[in-house]
Amino acid sequence: MLREIIYNFNTMLEEGLLSRLKEHADYFPKKEQAILMCLHEVQNYYGHIPQFALEEVAKLLGLPLNHVENVVSFYDMFDRGQPAKHRIRVCVSIVCELMNKDKLIKAIKELLGIDFGQTTKDGRFKLIAVQCLGACSEAPFFMVDEDAYKFESKEKLHEILSRYA
Amino acid sequence: MRSYPVMPNIYTETTLDMLLRRAKKPRVHTVEDYLRDGGYQALEKALNMDPQEIIEWVDKSQLRGRGGAGFPTGKKWKFAVQNPAPRYLICNADESEPGTFKDRVLIERDPHLLIEGMIISAYAIGANEAFVYIRGEYPAGYYILRDAIEEAKKKGFLGRNILGSGFDLEIYVARGAGAYICGEESALIESLEGKRGFPRTKPPFPVQYGLFGKPTVVNNVETLCNIPFIIKLGWEDYRYMGPSDYPGPKLFPVSGKVKKPGVYELPMNTTLREVVYKYAGGTINNKKVKAVFSGALDCFSWEELDTPMDYSPFGFGGTGTVIVLTEEDDVVKMCLKVAEFYAHESCGQCTPCRVGTYEQANLLHRIIQGTATEGDWEGFDFVNRFIQPTSICGLGAVAGRLIRQTMKKFPEEWEKYRKLSTESSLSV
Ligand SMILES: Cc1cc2nc3c(=O)[nH]c(=O)nc-3n(C[C@H](O)[C@H](O)[C@H](O)COP(=O)(O)O)c2cc1C
Ligand code: SF4
Ligand code: FES
Repeated sequence: MLREIIYNFNTMLEEGLLSRLKEHADYFPKKEQAILMCLHEVQNYYGHIPQFALEEVAKLLGLPLNHVENVVSFYDMFDRGQPAKHRIRVCVSIVCELMNKDKLIKAIKELLGIDFGQTTKDGRFKLIAVQCLGACSEAPFFMVDEDAYKFESKEKLHEILSRYA
Repeated sequence: MRSYPVMPNIYTETTLDMLLRRAKKPRVHTVEDYLRDGGYQALEKALNMDPQEIIEWVDKSQLRGRGGAGFPTGKKWKFAVQNPAPRYLICNADESEPGTFKDRVLIERDPHLLIEGMIISAYAIGANEAFVYIRGEYPAGYYILRDAIEEAKKKGFLGRNILGSGFDLEIYVARGAGAYICGEESALIESLEGKRGFPRTKPPFPVQYGLFGKPTVVNNVETLCNIPFIIKLGWEDYRYMGPSDYPGPKLFPVSGKVKKPGVYELPMNTTLREVVYKYAGGTINNKKVKAVFSGALDCFSWEELDTPMDYSPFGFGGTGTVIVLTEEDDVVKMCLKVAEFYAHESCGQCTPCRVGTYEQANLLHRIIQGTATEGDWEGFDFVNRFIQPTSICGLGAVAGRLIRQTMKKFPEEWEKYRKLSTESSLSV
């Protein structure tokens, strides 16, 4: 019984989220074009992309579920794994390597105790290695969710991360 | 207007002072700022011209695409208008090549320049719907563009019957989601249709069969930002800027071991040496330049610093990306970074590219660890011989290029590792 209630609860998208998804679907000339935008919204909301939300996106855009699954698995930014409230994306590409990205990675690991692909125990941060973030003059470079930062020092990093509750 | 975290500290130093004139101030330019600087005057002028004439001007201006291939923009537009309407215009803002961050500056700091360029271009090729495809890792750029488009609409520069000309245009902004391959124009189109970003087999080219199967022009951000200047100045004056074969300003994103990394706007007869020493302030601690990587595409040695930054066969070419390595840096280790990039970004559609780029990275890994065998060393050639002719798109075609170049230009660097693997195989 309880399981059923939880199940039913989880198959519905929250009102606010649903209306944002509808906005994206209405925005483009063809609604299937909104798929990446919708998936970004879902991930920002849940901290990953849960199965039921995929099904809802498929329904909303009038696409077969396997199409949506195919798309999700193609794009790196989408995460079907363990949810996390915030995503730290660290550039591991050429210029950041030249400019000593290892110092940044070491500092993150020391502060949060996680490696690439892992989530902190409290579910607050997930650490992700990414290719060039297009800010190489500011290397070593990282992003937290939608914000972009140059790594300066461990203290500054600590201060930045503490802004993300 | 909302304020967004625009990316910090970009040095700009302009000798031409066109594309970056506003962008060099670290703020987002609103439509009011842009109008005060004479913005949207080129649009007014263009709407009083015949679309054919605009295409002719762009052709005569000799503007070449700034997205990497350097294809003449006027020629591309001419191909597109040979095919029946509806046609589409797409602005390629996927900028994901390592070391490249020039389009970002234009989008985030001077969005109306891009929008004006897009409206004129769409009018010229007869498109009533245009798209910007911006990489997922540029959220600020996405929000800034959405806001700027709303501003432009309110002023009557977008929407129905633009400035009373009878021309209608909507610009839509779409976000990518972390796939370098979506910068390839046909993959971009697939992604914009809501699919996986798999490049299409060509021909047909996008100008024949593009978005939703309709003729489509795909142009880079920087290319489109040149259009208002060509209209405002006239193609003859535009051609006076820079060398006669490669006119117009060019943006060069400079990074790595230089004192002043940043985006530089320079004419294309500048040499690589001037970019590094005269503009970017020379190298950190004045170390000798060992190599310059042009993104993940080409490699230049100390002896080649007099290369001009143009699109000639021996020019710097590409997106103008300059990554400086000095004597302290290990070229082979940086090749591993390049190999990892291609392995990670291959879309996987062609088996030789999917497996070959992965193997290439593995081989390099073993070479650097000193565990490579004689067969591994031959592996590079093998891998490259197979990937190139079987690739649907340019990624597979260039996946081994930079690495092979370094083998020719820096044999001693590779020799170090060859010794290392021989020694470790002897000690087994
Ligand atoms: C693998 C690959 C990635 C590319 N990435 C980009 C990119 O991020 N931005 C871009 O403008 N062009 C990119 N291009 C080039 C585009 O396919 C296309 O040629 C360009 O957008 C055309 O614009 P232009 O004529 O204005 O240069 C890429 C090409 C390939 C093969
Ligand atoms: S060459 Fe590589 S990246 Fe290009 S389509 Fe084939 S598998 Fe994809
Ligand atoms: S290489 Fe790290 S941001 Fe470009």
